Amino acid sequence: MARPEPGSDEALLRAVAAGDAGALTRLYERHAGALFGYLYRLAGDRMTAEEILQDTLLAVWRSAAAFEGRSKATTWLFGVARRQAHNRLRGRRCPEPIGVPPSDRPDEGAGPDELAIAAAGGTPVAAAIDRLSDHHRDVIALVFVAGLPLADVAEVLTIPVGTVKSRLHHARAAIAAALTAQEVPE
Amino acid sequence: MNEMLPAYAAGSLRGADRDRVRAHLAGCARCRADLAAWQAIADAATPGVTPPDAAGMVRAALTRSAIAGPADPPGDGPWTRRLRYAAALVGAEARLIRLAVPVASALVMALGVAVVLVQAAAVAPPATGADVVLALVAPVVAAAGVAGTYRSRRDPVAELLAATPTAGPLLLLVRLALVFGYDLVLALAASAVLAAAPAGGAGGLHALIAAWLGPMALLSSVSLLVAVWFGPDLAVGAAVGLWAVRVLAGGVFAGDNWPARFVMDAWSTNAAVLAVSAAFGIAAVVMAGRLGPYGGEPHGAWRATHPT
Repeated sequence: MARPEPGSDEALLRAVAAGDAGALTRLYERHAGALFGYLYRLAGDRMTAEEILQDTLLAVWRSAAAFEGRSKATTWLFGVARRQAHNRLRGRRCPEPIGVPPSDRPDEGAGPDELAIAAAGGTPVAAAIDRLSDHHRDVIALVFVAGLPLADVAEVLTIPVGTVKSRLHHARAAIAAALTAQEVPE
Repeated sequence: MNEMLPAYAAGSLRGADRDRVRAHLAGCARCRADLAAWQAIADAATPGVTPPDAAGMVRAALTRSAIAGPADPPGDGPWTRRLRYAAALVGAEARLIRLAVPVASALVMALGVAVVLVQAAAVAPPATGADVVLALVAPVVAAAGVAGTYRSRRDPVAELLAATPTAGPLLLLVRLALVFGYDLVLALAASAVLAAAPAGGAGGLHALIAAWLGPMALLSSVSLLVAVWFGPDLAVGAAVGLWAVRVLAGGVFAGDNWPARFVMDAWSTNAAVLAVSAAFGIAAVVMAGRLGPYGGEPHGAWRATHPT
């Protein structure tokens, strides 16, 4: 993933604050891939992810003036996106998180697990990620989908870097446990 | 070392750290296995979707921003927003009031003032007092104005109002405040003019105001109640009828019998009259709410949509 020059990102944000729609387009073009991937991973479907992405652009357009340059522009952007995702997904019923022992479900043909795997793009690992608890999936998405350095992830989530690392390892353990339960090698 | 592996797998490790991890991996099978696990998660996590195109996305966001109106300026509390909303509501309602209503009210009131002044100049004291004239003119002006505040469904504006998200009773209250407030100001101005005139024929400003305030409140509230229940036409009729009773009781049928005394007592400013007026006014607004925002069926009429 191409890393943008930090300085020019901040300059773009300042231009957006001044009402420059072209700057908003350039900012979007730079971060669209990472932002959309991140939101897609949180939302689980394309339409919701697009809605949240639009909410995010709207929020950036309206509150770019509030960006004071104390954080990096990227972390600010992802912070805005995360808040918008939270607003839109708050009322949604979340699937049962993994990391707790799975109940004794009768295993018959194309059960819910297989359907979840298909919905997540086919791989059992993707299905397991989809069923992580919210804060574990958030860390996975910010690190691996958005491609943010751990320090930036910590800033977006407003938690210490050490907590980011421990959440990563807990998420991985939960994924491994889910795969073991399905007898798929990691 | 192994805590740098996630970032390395994600490709977000830079510079010296990345080189160190790469060098270490070459000689450490355990870390290579570890990295493979992280790599599997990284691959599975990446959804492999293409983001929507920039032009459409930015245009959609800007359109939404334009439709939603200007963002609230920072530090704008809920009270300032509420006040601004109320001011906008008053402004919008003021534009809906036909010009003839305030003009006619002002003309009638001016006529009353002129009558007092002309009569005071022509007739030697004791002339008819200014208080009596005001007590007759101000209430009927206000009652007629208030009767028109409850919009009948024949009003072309009613259709538009039925579609607004603002509650009907609130609109009625705003309109009432506008019309009644205007008439109040008119009557106060008339009182001030007469009190200042040398031939006023009455005590001070206070006595003049006391002469019309109670009757004005009572007649207006009765008028509003009738307007909500039966319609504005009947309301004007009822107001004029009551007003005629008062005129007759004070003139033609002037006497010491109890009905005449009762009418004269009711036509004055005291706590009981004001309380009854307030009760009538509240009842009218509540009733307007229960009849629905201009969508309710008129009382007593055949149900057009739900045959009974």
